[in-house]
Amino acid sequence: MTEVTMPEKSRAVPFRGGGFRPRPVRFVGLGVFVVLIALVEWGTRAGWISALTLPRPSDVLATFGELYRSGALWEHLSVSLVRLSVGSAIGVSAGVGIGILIGLFSLIRAGLVPLVAALFPIPKIALLPLFVIWFGIDEGSKYALIALGTFTPTVVATYGAVDNVDRTLIRMGQSFGLSWLSIVRKIVLPGAMPGILSGLRISLAIGIILLVAAEMLGATHGVGSYILQAGSLYDLERLFAGVTILSVLGVTVSGLIGLVEKRVLNWRA
Amino acid sequence: MLMNRRHALAAMGGAAAAATGLAAPAIANTPLVVGALRLTSHAGSYVALDRGYFADAGLNVELRFFDAAQPMAVAIASGDVDFGITAMTGALISLADRGAVKVIGGALQEEPGITGQKYLVSDAAFQDGVTTPAALAGRRFAISQAGSSFHYMGSKMAKAEGIDLEFIPLQSVGNIISSLRSGQVDGWSIVPHIALALAGSGDVHIVGDVADYIPDYQVTTVFTSSGNAANERAMTESFLSAFSRGVADFNASMVDATEGDAARDEMVRLIHQYVYTDREYEKAAPSIINGAMRLTPNAALNVASLKDQLDWFKAEDLVDQDIAFETVVDSSYVESV
Amino acid sequence: MYLSLRGLSHSYGTTEVLSDISLTVPSGQIVCLVGPSGCGKSTLLRMVGGLERPDRGEVLQVGAPPEGCLNPLTFVFQDFALLPWRTVEGNIRVVLEDHRIRRERAKEIVADVLARTRLTDFARALPRQLSGGMKQRVAIARALAVNPAVMLMDEPLSALDAQTRELLMDDLVSLWSREPFTALYVTHNLSEAVRLGHQVVVLSRRPGRIREIVQIDTPLAERGLGNPELERHQKHLWEVMRDEARAADEELLDD
Repeated sequence: MTEVTMPEKSRAVPFRGGGFRPRPVRFVGLGVFVVLIALVEWGTRAGWISALTLPRPSDVLATFGELYRSGALWEHLSVSLVRLSVGSAIGVSAGVGIGILIGLFSLIRAGLVPLVAALFPIPKIALLPLFVIWFGIDEGSKYALIALGTFTPTVVATYGAVDNVDRTLIRMGQSFGLSWLSIVRKIVLPGAMPGILSGLRISLAIGIILLVAAEMLGATHGVGSYILQAGSLYDLERLFAGVTILSVLGVTVSGLIGLVEKRVLNWRA
Repeated sequence: MLMNRRHALAAMGGAAAAATGLAAPAIANTPLVVGALRLTSHAGSYVALDRGYFADAGLNVELRFFDAAQPMAVAIASGDVDFGITAMTGALISLADRGAVKVIGGALQEEPGITGQKYLVSDAAFQDGVTTPAALAGRRFAISQAGSSFHYMGSKMAKAEGIDLEFIPLQSVGNIISSLRSGQVDGWSIVPHIALALAGSGDVHIVGDVADYIPDYQVTTVFTSSGNAANERAMTESFLSAFSRGVADFNASMVDATEGDAARDEMVRLIHQYVYTDREYEKAAPSIINGAMRLTPNAALNVASLKDQLDWFKAEDLVDQDIAFETVVDSSYVESV
Repeated sequence: MYLSLRGLSHSYGTTEVLSDISLTVPSGQIVCLVGPSGCGKSTLLRMVGGLERPDRGEVLQVGAPPEGCLNPLTFVFQDFALLPWRTVEGNIRVVLEDHRIRRERAKEIVADVLARTRLTDFARALPRQLSGGMKQRVAIARALAVNPAVMLMDEPLSALDAQTRELLMDDLVSLWSREPFTALYVTHNLSEAVRLGHQVVVLSRRPGRIREIVQIDTPLAERGLGNPELERHQKHLWEVMRDEARAADEELLDD
């Protein structure tokens, strides 16, 4: 051990770890948006993107500005927001309620899980004419469509979340003689909350998608009807302005859920 | 300009024909796709295809069917279809404004003395005293979409009567009919064969004629891509002349009925190959006969009507205010009336 | 109050896991239950606590529970079973809330058990902020809050590292010394058993039967590290268990 001379052949151990770990990189997402929009703006101005293919982003912005100034933006957005919130409030609360019942009672699970599985893949939009007959052409059918659309993913997420609640915690509750209701309220519900909230993200995104479908029949106002009208008029500027509103709505809703998660799930690392 | 392989081939064929100095038909066997709806008002294309008028003009026509006028306009813009027949909708005007399509002729029009489009009301509204179009004041009028021909017809009637209507977009004719039957909407306007069939069921009542409010209404037009209109003059003219022969046959047999019952029945059988194909001939025939509005002879353009329609679209803020009539209509192909 | 187990037997399907277990857990003593893995010690504990039903035999509570006892048979779990969304204080309160205790009284109880487990400064911390040893102290505090007649401890130190285990054993000893409690203590760690047990019950491999019951008379407070008496007991226990443990280790696991 006194000699520190290297044998003739020696090389450093090559590094082979790293990667496979996403880390936040700021502003790149924004940069992609900016580059894409700039590219389209250039293309439409230079002419290698025809007016038929894509609208000029600056025109879309102008359309948006006009929409804002004329007050039409709020007119469309307010009715859509009411439809989205009423419809998804019905769908999500029913979904959470039934999801918990499915999670807790084997009989209800046996009875309803196949039904939910059967409802899930139905394109809800196909049922719209039926809903018009059942609930009327006014707000009723629109609420029903959004409610059904948000209901099924919420149910699935909720009972999955209830199933995933740590059984040792429930056993702990039982071992301390907690009542059934206390166990549900203080252990099952809070334990299922992360799963329910991440299900809510998906449900509300589906709600926004269905907004357009719900406003197909009998809606004269609303972001969805605005987009549909723009499409039928082949008015690309309005179409893109409308789609952008939905996009922003989606990002906002997702952000709000993120805030709720931060508050409600602050106990997570 | 939109160019695809078919056009390229046609252009080469044309060049070759011109080089060898052949007389008309200058372009032999040019492949063409013609968009159509399964409606009697599209009979001009059916007859011209079935009786070989397209072939005579050197056109190898394939019909492509659509469920609605809107996608047909987009298909022409995308180059998938060469010629189409449809109402002058907002989409058509917007696409024309973007340099994609041009109206080149007229196809269907209202004419006094010939059964035309009707205003309808639901049974519930009818029992409630809505027995004239004017009595629809403040009620719900079904349209497929803002800027559709239904919207135009309702709006013109409302203006003439000095009333307000609530226009309810329902996307498709099927949705409109079921909503009208269940009383979800009060009024609508539609081509006669559908109107008469619905009125026969008792769920719906006819309360007026569109022609009373919009005289000489050019209901549908013939249109093509701007590229065809500008650069394929020979082909476009060939199409229009063959199409007009079909129209003339139809009018003679079905509208003017100058050729007797046998000729009419033969025409109905021809049309039945394309329209109401899911029904037996005996059941389909009355509907086909009822739906026989006059097709515009020689695809003539009713400039006054089309201008009125364009102005209405602008007034409703459905299309850009600066669109010139010439941007939408190329009146160089057919006579204007 | 003390516990009496009489002829407990249990099978999962055709596999018999426990066979004719009769045992007394005397008041104020800690009875340690050791045995090779899979011998049914945890199943036995769950039966004693009423979380599982034995096929044959019964568990009797003899005598009245102490005054102010809210939950005579109270578990301390290996994985702590703390509600991650409640603070230390909240995790203790949750077991009092169902018992209609006046708010001031509940506060007193919480303060008392926190003090006894030296957690007063961490009352508002969330479980994720605590080390494993602290978490188990919270679980013990929670068990103490209901003033149990018998504590059923299911390998309470197995999820902890060796140093923490030593510290927590000291804690348990001082808790017991100040106020003797009754406990049935399941472990697979023999040094734990000889440190804490007044009696050590050795179970055989599956189906679990009582192989031997060892009495250890050294007072808990005197059982420091390297105590030759304890070394002897531990060695003896290991000799009893070694063959069982090896045989158990070589058994194929059934579904």
